[in-house]
Amino acid sequence: MLSGRELERYDRQITMFGTDGQEKLKNSKVAVVGVGGIGSPVAYYLAAAGVGTLLLVDNQKPELSNLNRQLLHWEEDVGKNSKVESARWKLERFNGDIVVETFAGELNGDNIDGVLEGVDVIVDCLDNFKTRYLLDDYAHRKMVPLVHGAVEGTFGQVTTIVPRITKSLREIFPDMKETEESFPVLGATAGVVGSLQAMEVIKLLTGLGEPLLNKLLLIDLAFNTFEVVELR
Amino acid sequence: MRITVRYFARYRSLVGRGEEEIEVPEGTTVRDLIETLRRKYPVLRNEVFAEEDDLADVHVSKNGRYVSFDEVLREGDKVAIFPPVSGG
Repeated sequence: MLSGRELERYDRQITMFGTDGQEKLKNSKVAVVGVGGIGSPVAYYLAAAGVGTLLLVDNQKPELSNLNRQLLHWEEDVGKNSKVESARWKLERFNGDIVVETFAGELNGDNIDGVLEGVDVIVDCLDNFKTRYLLDDYAHRKMVPLVHGAVEGTFGQVTTIVPRITKSLREIFPDMKETEESFPVLGATAGVVGSLQAMEVIKLLTGLGEPLLNKLLLIDLAFNTFEVVELR
Repeated sequence: MRITVRYFARYRSLVGRGEEEIEVPEGTTVRDLIETLRRKYPVLRNEVFAEEDDLADVHVSKNGRYVSFDEVLREGDKVAIFPPVSGG
């Protein structure tokens, strides 16, 4: 049941998907894997929307050069708090009605089942394909939807993987090379891609609209390009 | 026959244009087209396209649909080439 406070807080979106939709968000647990450039807006907007439990996964501490895009981390966090603790501190103060769980470590084949246990949707906000393939394998083993996003410069890509319905991430991106450590990126690009991913999660959980199933959305903000490629 | 090639992300910056029409022989495949583009724009070969036997860095769609390198092109096709990215 939604409290009076929640009914007021989420009034502008309850008019879109009803109290049923809002309760679905409240009863859901979403993992945000990578709390950096795209993970920040994803976690922020999912907290704002009232997703009941957020699980934040990241093994790093914020650095000064992260702050052009990683909005959940501030100057006071640089070199001090882990990214998941830095993010939890803000998100809990932003929305006291949600639960924020954290895992401050690196996902691997041994720990992933325990860390992601009970998650309804996984959001891929990572910066490398090695761990993305691990998420993809887990998603297919446990039949959990996976929302993929990635950025570079002014360019970004988003697609949603639903096991048995869509291609897997491995099938779409079979031979990805490892990322260079300091790829160029603007905060606004990460903001757009992260917002699109948050929207995908909300669509999956509430039934609103049509998620990007077997569709790859490519954006290039420098040239005002939004292109949907059919993957089937 | 003439086809339209559209360049995305860093391919667009390197080539210096968003799209162009080019003339290719009948029966040209996506793989052949990539080779044509590598000859036309050495900067693509040197900086972003993968080596001879490994074209995996380049993703290609034809008329809005994702296609493999064996896909045969036809007059008027719109082909988009884009580099997958991996940053977060």
